[in-house]
Amino acid sequence: MGSQPDLGQLQFDELELARRRAFFQLTDEDLARLAALAPFAIRHTTEIVEAFYELLLGHPETRKFFSDELAVRRVKGLQAEYFLGLFSGRCDLEYVTNRLRVGATHERIGLSPKWYMGAYRRYLQIVRERLFEDFPLAEAQMAYESIQRLVFFDMSIAIDTFILAHVDTIHRHQLAIRELSTPVIRVHERVLLLPLIGTVDSLRASQVMDALLLRVIEEQARVVIIDIAGVPVVDTKVADSLLKTTAAVRMLGAQTIVTGISAPIARTLVQLGVDISTVHTRARLQEGIELALQLDGRAIVEVGPVK
Amino acid sequence: MTGAIPVLRLGRTLLASIQIDLSDAIAESLQNDILAHIERGRTTGVVVDISGFDTVDTYAARILAETAKMAKLMGCDTILVGMRPEVAATLVRMGYPMEEVTFALNVEEGLALLGHIVPK
Repeated sequence: MGSQPDLGQLQFDELELARRRAFFQLTDEDLARLAALAPFAIRHTTEIVEAFYELLLGHPETRKFFSDELAVRRVKGLQAEYFLGLFSGRCDLEYVTNRLRVGATHERIGLSPKWYMGAYRRYLQIVRERLFEDFPLAEAQMAYESIQRLVFFDMSIAIDTFILAHVDTIHRHQLAIRELSTPVIRVHERVLLLPLIGTVDSLRASQVMDALLLRVIEEQARVVIIDIAGVPVVDTKVADSLLKTTAAVRMLGAQTIVTGISAPIARTLVQLGVDISTVHTRARLQEGIELALQLDGRAIVEVGPVK
Repeated sequence: MTGAIPVLRLGRTLLASIQIDLSDAIAESLQNDILAHIERGRTTGVVVDISGFDTVDTYAARILAETAKMAKLMGCDTILVGMRPEVAATLVRMGYPMEEVTFALNVEEGLALLGHIVPK
């Protein structure tokens, strides 16, 4: 699983950095103030990290992400590093690259943003309490404001990465499904079978058509059987794509038979007013294969008992 | 008859094989040639091999379809053979599936369909 997004995928460049910082009102003064708070941060790191994990480990939904003591110790170390990073006084592309890992890691282990946001709230609460204990009111308020800006900035990056990593995962799954979704089988000489399974959207319909047409030429097929028994919903769009495919197959010099027309599908098509009477249709695949052979001047015959 | 596409006669059948990109002018001249051939001698079928072109516009496709209709009026069945998958897909997507025309996979099957040779 090497799906860690980089700055390029996020389209995160100097310009985007500047824009986002401006939107979060994160100024150089904020960063300088945070850098000056480094001793405060170091003083409280352990306590804050402990409180953070107390919350995470105290809930069964989040505890399951931490398999054992060793794992907990490791993430605590990372968390301390992350926390001190807030007080580095930097917010450049390198900083952002560093922060990208958070969202990507969460996506990989399946930790959804709600836990991240909830835990972060706890984090801010403790930081706030310590700030107000350690500093005079006005100074603490200013410091807290700066921390909040950078924290929200960080969260926006983590959420962006989380979504991007998620989209990337979905994309890979779609590709895998697509590859599996157009199996064109040669069931007999010059007879091809395309069993359609699952939802047929316009993109898939178009890919199915292209794949099928190529196979017709490769196999010099005379008849193509499209079995739609595995398509959950047959509506006007699916019917339209079947008609289009049939029309294209015809132009190559082959014929199409659509099988797997169940009673509900037949009812739906008639009630929707869809006319596919130009296409050969049959209820069951077996009848489709018989018709296919018949169209090509062949037949399956019974030869009586085998001696 | 100085068309860019030769029209061959095989008994009562005409055979034309388009191996160049079909411009409007060439399509029109092919139409003239085919119809002139039908006028001159007994003809019952026309096979047009279109395996040579990988792009087609609807205008050229329309001329071919009209040629088939005209030939029909003169007593000839026309069969287009060898259309490439991408051309078929394009025509369907452009909404011109050439419903009025008969198709076959290749020249041999086209001739068989006309009843001029016995299929294997």
